[in-house]
Amino acid sequence: MSHTRPPAPLAVGAALILLGIGATAASFNIALDQYGRWGARVFPLAGSLSLLILGVIELRSGQAARPERKDSSSLPAIVALLCLSVAYVWVMGRVGYLISTGIAAPLALWIFGIRNIWGLVVAAILCPLIYHLVFFVALGVFPPYGDWFDLLDVLQVN
Amino acid sequence: MEIFAALSTVLTDPILLGWVFLAAIVGMVVGAIPGLTASAAIAMLLPLTFYMEPLPALAFLYVIGKSGRYGGSIAAILFNTPGTAASAATQIDGYPLARRGMASKAMKVATVSSVIGDFIGEILLIVGVAWIASIALRLGPPELFAVYFAAFVVIGSVIGKSITRGLASAALGVLVNMIGLDPISSTERFTFGSFDLSNGISLVPLMIGVFVLGEVFAQIEERGKPSEMMETDVSDVGRNRLTWAEYRPCMPHVIRSSFIGAFIGMLPGLGSAIAAFVAYGEGKRRAQNPEAWGKGALEGIAAPEAANNAVSGPSMAPLLTLGIPGSTIGAILIGVFLIHGIQIGPTLFLTNGELVYALFACGLIGIVMYGIIGFYGAAFVGRFITRIPTQVLYPVIFLTAFVAAYTSRGNLFDIYIMIAAGFLGWGMRKLEFNPAAFVISFVLAGGAEETFRQSLLLSDNGIAIFVTRPVALLFLLLGLAALFVRARSLNRQARAAALQEA
Repeated sequence: MSHTRPPAPLAVGAALILLGIGATAASFNIALDQYGRWGARVFPLAGSLSLLILGVIELRSGQAARPERKDSSSLPAIVALLCLSVAYVWVMGRVGYLISTGIAAPLALWIFGIRNIWGLVVAAILCPLIYHLVFFVALGVFPPYGDWFDLLDVLQVN
Repeated sequence: MEIFAALSTVLTDPILLGWVFLAAIVGMVVGAIPGLTASAAIAMLLPLTFYMEPLPALAFLYVIGKSGRYGGSIAAILFNTPGTAASAATQIDGYPLARRGMASKAMKVATVSSVIGDFIGEILLIVGVAWIASIALRLGPPELFAVYFAAFVVIGSVIGKSITRGLASAALGVLVNMIGLDPISSTERFTFGSFDLSNGISLVPLMIGVFVLGEVFAQIEERGKPSEMMETDVSDVGRNRLTWAEYRPCMPHVIRSSFIGAFIGMLPGLGSAIAAFVAYGEGKRRAQNPEAWGKGALEGIAAPEAANNAVSGPSMAPLLTLGIPGSTIGAILIGVFLIHGIQIGPTLFLTNGELVYALFACGLIGIVMYGIIGFYGAAFVGRFITRIPTQVLYPVIFLTAFVAAYTSRGNLFDIYIMIAAGFLGWGMRKLEFNPAAFVISFVLAGGAEETFRQSLLLSDNGIAIFVTRPVALLFLLLGLAALFVRARSLNRQARAAALQEA
C-alpha cells in the first residue's frame, strides 16, 4: 500500500474545527442533571473537543501540503442525485409512495445515463408496482401516504 | 459439543437450509460486483429480516457476509477490479493467471483457500467464544469502558491512510449517537428543538445511507468506465483443472494465513483487507518462490483468500461476548439482535446459547455451500455479472435503499437521515475519512457511555478508577500503544515517500 497524503487537509481541518466549535457550544447547552452533575454532557463534550483537536492537527499538517487539483466532472450528477433524493422523500410525503417512485425511478435512471424513452416509461410503471407489492403487500409494511393525494385511495388497494 | 446438536437441528430444517443457500448465492453475486460490498447488501436487506424468525434472519445475513468476502475474489481475478477491498491482494496474482488463460484454476484456488480459511476461523470461534464470554462475564464497567476506549482508538487509527481523519470519523460517530434523549436523565442532547431528533438516530437508515446510498453516489463517478472480463475458456479443461500436486505447496500458506486472519479478525475494526495484505506479505516473505509472486503464483492467491475469509468467524467474537462489533457486518448484525429483543454480550450464551450455536452451524453449512457453488460455478457468476448493466443496477439499488430505510420504522424522517448519511458516507470516502469507523463508533458509543457513567458511580476517586484497576489500565495502554505504533509507521512511510520524491 503506497503512502499518499489525504486530500484537502486545510479545508478538512477548518471544517473539523468549525464542527468541533459548534458541537462544543451545543454540548454546553445540554442541561445538567438534578444534582448539578455533568453526566449527560461528558460524552458529547469529549466527542466535540476531540473533533476540535483533530481539526487543529489536520490544519497544521496541511500547511506544508501542496494543493492538488481534483477531478470534479461528476459533481453535477452527484448534486442532481442528492437533489432527487431530497425531492423524492418530500414528494412521497405529499402524494404517496406510488406516484413519487413513478417519478423518481426514471429520473434516477436518467442521471445514470439511461436515455431509452421506453425503458424509462417501463421503469416509471414497474418500479412502484414491484416495490409496493414486495414491501407493502407481501411484507405488510404500512405504506407512506401522501398528505395532499394518494393513488392508493383511488385504487382502493393496500 | 453444543455445535453437533446445532448442526443436526439446522440440517433437518429445509427452510433454514434454503435461507443459507440463498445467502450463499446472494453474497457471492454481490461480492463479485465491483463496488458493491457484502456490508451494503446486508444493510439493504436488514429491514426485510425484521419480518423473519431470529435464526433465519441472522443466518441469512451472516452467510451473506461470508460468501460476500469470497465473492470479491471472482471480480479480482476476472475483471482486475477487486469486488471488495479484501480481495485487492488476490488480484495481484489472480489477474496475471487469468491473463494466461487460467482464470478457472485461479478461482478454484481462491475457492478452496477461502473455504479452508473460513472453516478454521469458524472452528476457532466455536471453540474459543464461550471461553472468552466466561472471561467477559468477570469484567466490570471500568474494564468494559477501557475495552471500548481501545476499540475506538484502534478502529479510528489503524484503518485508512490518515490517523486524524480516522479518529475524527470515530468522534463523529460518537457525536451522532448522542443525538436524542440521554438514556439516564432523559435530557435532550443535540436535538435543536426537533421532535424527530429527540427519538435519536436509528442505526438502520444510518447504515443504509453510509454503505448503500454512499456507494451509489460513488458509482456515479464510475459511469461509462468499461470493465473488461478475462475469458474463462471452459473447454480448456487441462489447463484449468486443479490437482492436489498443484495445490499442495499452497497448504502451508493457507494454514498460516488462516491463523493470521483469525487473529486479526478478533481485533475490532481491522477487517479482511488488512488480514489479506498481512498474509500476502508474510506468505511472500516465507515463500520458496518469491520471484513468482505477483506474476500468477497459486500461493499468492491462496494466502490472502484464506486470510480474508478466516476473519469472518473470529470477528464475531467481540460482538457476541462483549457486544462490541469487530466489523461493519458485526455492527449491522447488532441491529438484527436488537430488533428481535436479544441482548448481546457475555450473558448471550446463558440466555440464547442454542441460537448462537445454531448460527455457527449455519455458518459452517454456508461455507460448504458457497464452496461447492464457487468451485463449479464461479465462472458462471462472473459471466452473469458482466450481463448486469450498472446503469440499471445502481438506480435500482438507489430506490431499494429508500424503501428499506422507510421499512425499518415506517418513518419518512428516517429516509432523510439515510440521505444525509449517504452523502456523508460518499464525502468520507472521497476525503479519505473512515466510514466503517464512523458506523462502528456510532454503535459502540451507547455502551461506552453507559459503562463510563456506571464506573464513575462505582468510583470514590472519579476517573482514577480507570487507572487503578489493572485490566482497565491494560486496555487503555493497549489502545494508546496501537495509536503510537500506527503513528510511527505512517511517519516512516511519509519519510520514505519524501526521500523517493527527492
